[in-house]
Amino acid sequence: MQSMELYGLELYYWVLLLPIACGLLGFLINKLRSYFDFLAFVGTLYFAVHIFVRTRTEVVSEVIGTIAGIDFRIFLDGMAGFILLFIAIFAFLIWLYSLRSMSRVPRERVYYLYLTLTLSAANGVVVAGNLVFLLIFWNVLVFSLYGLFQVSRTGMDSSHAARKAVTIIGVSDYVLMLGIVLLFVQIGNVNFPVEHKILFTSPWLTASFILMLVGGLAKLGTMPLHTWIPESAKVVPASTLAFIPGSLDKLLGVYFLFRISYHIFDISSFMPLRILLMVIGAVTIVVMAIAALLQKDAQRLLAFSTVSQAGYMVLGLGTGMPIAIAGALFHMLNNTLFKSILFLSTGAVESRTKTTELDALGGLGAKMPFTLFSFFVAALAISGVPPLNGFFSKWMIYQGLIEMGNEFSLWFIFLICAMFGSILTLAYSMKLVHAVFLGERAKKFNKVREARFELVVPSFLFAVACIVFGIFARELPLGQLIIPSLSFPVGEIGFWIPGLATILIIVGLIIGLVIFLLGTAARPRTSSVFVGGEVLGDEEGRMTGDNFYSSLRSFGMLDKTLNFSEGGAFDFYNYLRGAAAGFAAVFKNVINRLVVVMYQSIGKLIRSLGTLTSFLHTGELYNYVGWVFIGGIVILLLLVF
Amino acid sequence: MTEMIGFADFFLDRFGIFLSALFVFIGVMSFIYALSTVREKGHRLELYIMLLLIVGSGVGVALTNNLLIMFIFWELSTLAIWRTVGYYREQDKIDASSFTFLINFAAAAVMLVGLIMLYLDNGTFNFFEITVFNNTAVIFILIGILAKSVTIPMHVWLVPAYNAVPSAIGGSLAGIAENLGVVLFLRLFTNGNYFDPTFFTTVAWIAVASSIIMGGAALLSNNLRTLLAYSTISQVGFILLGFAVGGQFGVAGGMLYILAHALAKSGLFYGVGMIEDATGKDDLSGLCCLLKVSPTLGVLMALLFGSIVGFFPMIGFWAKLWVIVSAVEYTAALGIGAIIAAVFTLLYNARFYHELFFAKQLTRLPKAKRPGYAGLTIVFILALVSLLLGIFFYLPHTYITGSGGY
Repeated sequence: MQSMELYGLELYYWVLLLPIACGLLGFLINKLRSYFDFLAFVGTLYFAVHIFVRTRTEVVSEVIGTIAGIDFRIFLDGMAGFILLFIAIFAFLIWLYSLRSMSRVPRERVYYLYLTLTLSAANGVVVAGNLVFLLIFWNVLVFSLYGLFQVSRTGMDSSHAARKAVTIIGVSDYVLMLGIVLLFVQIGNVNFPVEHKILFTSPWLTASFILMLVGGLAKLGTMPLHTWIPESAKVVPASTLAFIPGSLDKLLGVYFLFRISYHIFDISSFMPLRILLMVIGAVTIVVMAIAALLQKDAQRLLAFSTVSQAGYMVLGLGTGMPIAIAGALFHMLNNTLFKSILFLSTGAVESRTKTTELDALGGLGAKMPFTLFSFFVAALAISGVPPLNGFFSKWMIYQGLIEMGNEFSLWFIFLICAMFGSILTLAYSMKLVHAVFLGERAKKFNKVREARFELVVPSFLFAVACIVFGIFARELPLGQLIIPSLSFPVGEIGFWIPGLATILIIVGLIIGLVIFLLGTAARPRTSSVFVGGEVLGDEEGRMTGDNFYSSLRSFGMLDKTLNFSEGGAFDFYNYLRGAAAGFAAVFKNVINRLVVVMYQSIGKLIRSLGTLTSFLHTGELYNYVGWVFIGGIVILLLLVF
Repeated sequence: MTEMIGFADFFLDRFGIFLSALFVFIGVMSFIYALSTVREKGHRLELYIMLLLIVGSGVGVALTNNLLIMFIFWELSTLAIWRTVGYYREQDKIDASSFTFLINFAAAAVMLVGLIMLYLDNGTFNFFEITVFNNTAVIFILIGILAKSVTIPMHVWLVPAYNAVPSAIGGSLAGIAENLGVVLFLRLFTNGNYFDPTFFTTVAWIAVASSIIMGGAALLSNNLRTLLAYSTISQVGFILLGFAVGGQFGVAGGMLYILAHALAKSGLFYGVGMIEDATGKDDLSGLCCLLKVSPTLGVLMALLFGSIVGFFPMIGFWAKLWVIVSAVEYTAALGIGAIIAAVFTLLYNARFYHELFFAKQLTRLPKAKRPGYAGLTIVFILALVSLLLGIFFYLPHTYITGSGGY
């Protein structure tokens, strides 16, 4: 247990406090904001690298205070260092991107404040070594999410999306809180990783695990808690999308699921939970990929895609096989890379074209070559095309599923789902590439130029990382980042050798290119369009990419189902609100009403008693004398007996 | 039998000091806000006297160990509530104040019978020495407690009262007067002399039911003050829940909840008062997009709403967490109930905030002046204190739990 002091303060305090302190200063002193933000993001990256390097060799575990039997404990191991590093890298590049994309939008100041708050809180989640302590930072993320989502794209109103996001995440946070409290009450202080993993011996322990699972899955954004992501896709700027649902939530969600599944509990000992996780993962992969296929807006398509990819991570974690868990972590890393590229490049396109509707875009590849390059790499990587990184991580998950065959005979269903999802991913990625960059260009975009430097560089760097992580998968990401941060050994990874395969693929590509150039490309077929004698302009004949796969809609009940879900029929949020409003109506109009009516009837009763007695007061002297007389007799009788 | 009342029947313990410091703080805030906002000349002195009475009776209840003295302060506060609710002499407000007074007074009269029964059984009014608890007496006292600390089924006076009371006093009403019931509960039933699990279970379930039902009612209300009233009833349920289930977390959680709720709800009351003054509207359907009118108020109220909902940097988070821990320790079912109540809290607060500050359903913005600086400062102080106490929450927590004895 060594001290990790740097510049007079422990390293973990630096990553916790530096971002929000600089963010607050920048918010208050608007003139110096860019300097403070620079300090916040670059400084956090610097300290995160330090922590990463230290945690390769040592583990930090320190209790900074105990209140009411709850340890406020810092715990940094290889896993935490790795996640911290990537949070810092993504935050830094998103900030770089925002410098241009978010300049001079309304509420710009608030945007940076919440960005730094999010960074601090995310670091806190990773640094914490106790579930209650973790819950604190998890909670701050709801606050910052609400603030960040209020900063909308120009001319849009994102407040509904923000309310929806904060409701879904907030409710799932309460569920998570209940799970943590339930565990706390049963076994006391929940420091992780625990020495003896908790087994699912009592139903209450299982219940607390499932409740915590809900919190983690909502953060990760799997079905059925995903609906805030597509809702926000159209109204929230690309940088926010790339940062929160695109990368940060995946990192934190997988980190949390990994911790509770393998460092606190041990789900590999309990088959039903593993199957539950795998079913959630597999269903999410396939359903969300089909939904993504039919979207007409680039950001919305990407939002569905990010939900679909989260399914792979849950599937991998659920198998309980070391190789698939490593694969899930690797896929998490890869997904943050290529999903950031896709979101940010779409944002770069939007910065020039002012739209992300697939119908309006097309043919921008020649105008925006760098954006096209990054986008294309990411599209191939997300589809799992070798030798890129996405292929390798999916491969590991598949291998884990196959290895699981010894324990679980229906493993092939999940394998088929995962592979089918991969095909669908390829389909929608190609649709996206075609609709935005290939095909014919609308006339109004003829003067479009490449996006600004700051908007292109982050995606370009990510794209290079995608290629490098794919080709040197064994050596770099797996060997350096993921396997050292796992606490268990990972078996031999298949017979896939990325280096050799890359060379073979390149050779294949060159041969293909030669054949293409010698063959088809030399003899293109041209014909003029003739429609009823009318001369068509370029615009009318333009083919856009948004109708790819629209024939899918005529497939069975799919069309109706989709229309249903567009109308919010499968939206957890609507059910929640509906149920709450229904119960509330009963509470307010029946129960509360009954109580009020009870009081009113008491009032009426008293009033009618008063009216009755008022009949006795006739105002005539003889009556009163009579009453006195009767009263006297009654008293006399009482005294006598 | 000892004497009923003595001059030495006051004592200082940590709970008492904590509560009276809180009450005086809320009272001072209320006073400054009243100075800056109540423009009407006529009988303004009455308002200040009644405000002092509310604060004084709160401090009195917090610091005495004699049930009879507590009852006297209790009735003083009823009197002050009656006068302040009817402060603006309009017919509906006078009706509301009479209604408030009647329910509070009737419940207090029932409670007095219970107190006297306790006295006859034990020969003392000192609640540390009361050991014999007659069931009827306990139920009678509980009726008084539920009426003062607005809980189902004695909550009905709060909605008309909130609608009539000047917003300056509303903060004190929410922060001080409504806590008297739970303070009596804490003093009399949680000090270790009374053991009856059925009673505590029943009260805990009443509290949870009250919290859930009134959270639902708040979700459907449109009037700002009605919404605040339902929200208060819903939150007081959490305090009562904490005290009823007791234990290490329950008592500390209830105390923290009193603190969090007093700060946040009085701040919200002033915020709503400023919104009403600025726009002349008191209904959600006529209000929207206020963030454009006053971003400062928007941020401050977001913090206060966050404290009510229980998001971390605010003290409300710890209070809610502690109460939920204590509820789960008692029975898991009670914990689930508390979580459902918390979900309702989140839902109605998200809706309230969203429709006040965002929601572009109106075609044109309501006309609005900017809120005054004095009021904003008060809300700022309350939000800041909630925030700082949330971050450095071990300060109030250590103070409360160091008290021993309970």
